[in-house]
Amino acid sequence: MTTRDVLQVSGLSIRNANLPKAAPVLQDVSFSAAPKSVVGIIGESGAGKTVLAKALVNWVASPLEISSGQLFFEGVDLLKQPAERFNAMRGREISYIGADPTSALDPTVPVGSQIVKKLVTVKPTLSKREAKEFVIETFQAVRIPSASKRFNDYPFQFSGGMMQRALIVDALVTNPKLLIADNITQPLDVTVAAQILRLLRQLQQDFETAIVFVTASLGTAVDIADKVLVMKEGRVVESGGTSGLLANPQDDYTKQLIHQVPDIWGAEPFHSEQIDEHPILSIRDVSKTYQLADPDVVFGKQAVQAVRGVSFDVRRGENFGVIGESGCGKSTLSRLLSALESPDTGEVLFNGTSLSSMSSKQLLNWRQKMQLILQDPYNSIPSYMTIGDIIAEPLRIHNLEKGNALWTRVKAVMTEVGLNLDLIHDLPAGLSAGQRQRVSIARALVLEPEVLILDETLSALDQVEQSKLLALFADINRRRSITCIYISHDLAMVRRICDRIGVMYLGKVVELADNESLFSKAGHPYTRALLSAVPVLEEKPFEESVYLLDGEPPDPINIPAGCSFRTRCPFAIDQCAQEEPNLEVYEEKGSAAACYVGYAKLP
Amino acid sequence: MRSGAPQGASEHLLLGPFYRLIGMAFAIEFFVRRILQGAVIVFLVSFVIFALLRVVSGDPVRIILGPMASSAAIEETAEQLGLRDPIPIQYGRFVAGVVQGDFGHSFIRGVQGGSTGGSQDSEGLDTDNRAPVFDLIMTALPYTAILAGGGVFLALLIALPIGIFAGRNSGRWPDRFALYVSSLFISLPNIWIGVVLIFLFSTKAGWLPAIGYEGLAYAILPAIVIAIEISPVLIRAISVSVSDNLRAPYFALGLVRGLSSNYMFRAHVLRNSAVPLMNLFGAQVIGMLLGGLFVVEYIFSYPGIGLLTINAIFQRDFPIVQAISILAAVALVLINMFVDFFSSLIDRRLKF
Repeated sequence: MTTRDVLQVSGLSIRNANLPKAAPVLQDVSFSAAPKSVVGIIGESGAGKTVLAKALVNWVASPLEISSGQLFFEGVDLLKQPAERFNAMRGREISYIGADPTSALDPTVPVGSQIVKKLVTVKPTLSKREAKEFVIETFQAVRIPSASKRFNDYPFQFSGGMMQRALIVDALVTNPKLLIADNITQPLDVTVAAQILRLLRQLQQDFETAIVFVTASLGTAVDIADKVLVMKEGRVVESGGTSGLLANPQDDYTKQLIHQVPDIWGAEPFHSEQIDEHPILSIRDVSKTYQLADPDVVFGKQAVQAVRGVSFDVRRGENFGVIGESGCGKSTLSRLLSALESPDTGEVLFNGTSLSSMSSKQLLNWRQKMQLILQDPYNSIPSYMTIGDIIAEPLRIHNLEKGNALWTRVKAVMTEVGLNLDLIHDLPAGLSAGQRQRVSIARALVLEPEVLILDETLSALDQVEQSKLLALFADINRRRSITCIYISHDLAMVRRICDRIGVMYLGKVVELADNESLFSKAGHPYTRALLSAVPVLEEKPFEESVYLLDGEPPDPINIPAGCSFRTRCPFAIDQCAQEEPNLEVYEEKGSAAACYVGYAKLP
Repeated sequence: MRSGAPQGASEHLLLGPFYRLIGMAFAIEFFVRRILQGAVIVFLVSFVIFALLRVVSGDPVRIILGPMASSAAIEETAEQLGLRDPIPIQYGRFVAGVVQGDFGHSFIRGVQGGSTGGSQDSEGLDTDNRAPVFDLIMTALPYTAILAGGGVFLALLIALPIGIFAGRNSGRWPDRFALYVSSLFISLPNIWIGVVLIFLFSTKAGWLPAIGYEGLAYAILPAIVIAIEISPVLIRAISVSVSDNLRAPYFALGLVRGLSSNYMFRAHVLRNSAVPLMNLFGAQVIGMLLGGLFVVEYIFSYPGIGLLTINAIFQRDFPIVQAISILAAVALVLINMFVDFFSSLIDRRLKF
């Protein structure tokens, strides 16, 4: 330890008082943080990262308790001080930002006044008016648009990214010496997370704050931290300077973590083996608008344009990806594709037949051929049915099999997706998220569908489980020549499994390209922004400094005229404000982007 | 942005904080919609009550005129009162009266308020001698308002401290204490409590009057009975919502952000706990209160709406029963409307 370290933790152990015999939650953790440095703490879920982060702000809740160790803040062991002394540091000298920005503040009080209240509490010399002006100025500094109006908005009116900005303001208004950032980018979209990281780096230089940055994403930690601690099961297995640790990892676990970060450009682009040029699914200019009550006009309505004129073909046997960030309309699109809702205009054709022309009986029969698998592994299967019954249910609904034949089919599909046949009479309680998703997949596959729609199906799973299921899907794709549509925000995943990819922004497909072209060429500036923001360890072809966006997508109620992306596009030209661009082919494989700037003119 | 409040709206002269907290358009839309919905509800309720009263057994004319009246006189009186017309026609006539503020006349009660059924009128009925229902209700209403207000006040006086204390110490003895108190209160029948209280405080100790009404002191014992009846529900609701809010992420994070536990409790936990409490009021407590008032007013011969209703039911005094039913429906609709409005003032996420 050097005496000028802001924070020095030595031998910190935390245990669960109710489980005295179990291994401690944290064991003998030691590290230090110099002023203005960023210490990254990395590990999988359950490694004790969040417990450690919370311990640094004296937030160790029963039954957890600190069993030993020291926690020096500016040379004073805070654990030896009375709790009031430690607590008096919080929000003043030591600030904390957590993973879930949307639940961090009282939902019933405007964001601005909650931050002002904190400011005047920790700085009693400040008047309320001064505090308010200061907070609005800081809102502007972190690029919250129309800051003085936003000041009076409620937490639920903020997006996750905006809320996280507001909380960064809240944490830094007192100019603390130490900031604990606990998984702060985890729930955010990639471009927003990258913006938050950039913002944090800038602010850190202005405020000269030391940051302890906890994250499960190695790519993110490498991006921001000077020094990295690798944690596993409550212990620090390795620590060191970021670049050294990356180049020359010592511990096996560190090597494994580095290995698990998915390669995007290093990976081979995926190719399905049997693609029939004939489209199995054609989407023709579909759009969907939802009506919401307008709070400012008596009996007024607002139109939320979720999907705006989307067209594409999916060929039989191919894996098609739809990517985009929250609110881009990809989930609405999946509901339209699976006929859970019908489009306002346009049509969805399955083998040339329009879904909207089908009677409800025809639609029910058609559903055998088209199955949807959702994201949430817990709520998408009933907890009161046995696994065998869950998988058998579609066969019964469609009256396809009975008796022994039914169970033979159920068992065959369970084997195919890697579920142990002993589970057939068990309830799903106790299954892991990955196994639950396998049940969902088996339930869809038992009907032998021609098309599978996977709406963020793998998003809730960890890297290891995700890799296994991707291998399973690649296998299914090969054996059954099934057509899969992956709807996801995860670029690394679509890179590994999709033949062609559509990129959505504000309800439109702005780029439609084959895997190889999308990742290496990317004809639309938004695609490049997405690619520049992915946290990876490899060299990216698109520089963050050139392509990263400011702000967030406009409200789908007030979509800007012309190209909907132009308000955030660094390369927009006059023509972009005039008219909405259509998809234009930009390279020989037929990849197309909707951009007036043109592929040749993008930097 | 669509946050609804124009610049400087917080200084709005008349509407003041309301204007800032909630968009004007929202408020207008809310009240227009809810008043229309409420009108439909009251209309349906009143028709159902009106029709049911006329199909149940027991001829009111027999009660009005007494057992000695001839069947000719009964038929004549029934014709005169319109009781032999089809129900929809009777209902139409009734609604037409109500719209003009006329709820009709009691079948039984005289202008002076006394009950006259069964003796003097065997020759026929002169409705002009009978008290207008509207006047009867207006006479009784203030007494009931005092009793209901006092009952709710006492219930809150019991439930707020116990509920908050239990919520702050969830899982420990105050929580169990609250549970025991609620269980005890909920298992005591209100009739029994009423009788015991009368026995102890009036008959034995002579501290409080029990029967009738000649001053505020007469409302104390019945109000206690009401309070004991509704406080268990309140205690549970308060302790659950307080302890939920203490567990909400914003509370722990508020402490980490440097705010004091006392401040977080006063400014945020109590505020958030008020919403479920108000909803409970609209949905359940008002109903319990109405039911409780009938029994309690009857036990204490308390001259309010409850007693008026019970007597009217026994006497088949249709005009009073239907008017009070409508009044109760209107009260429920209005109270729920205001509960929802104030809930959405506290929590802007709520949409009604």
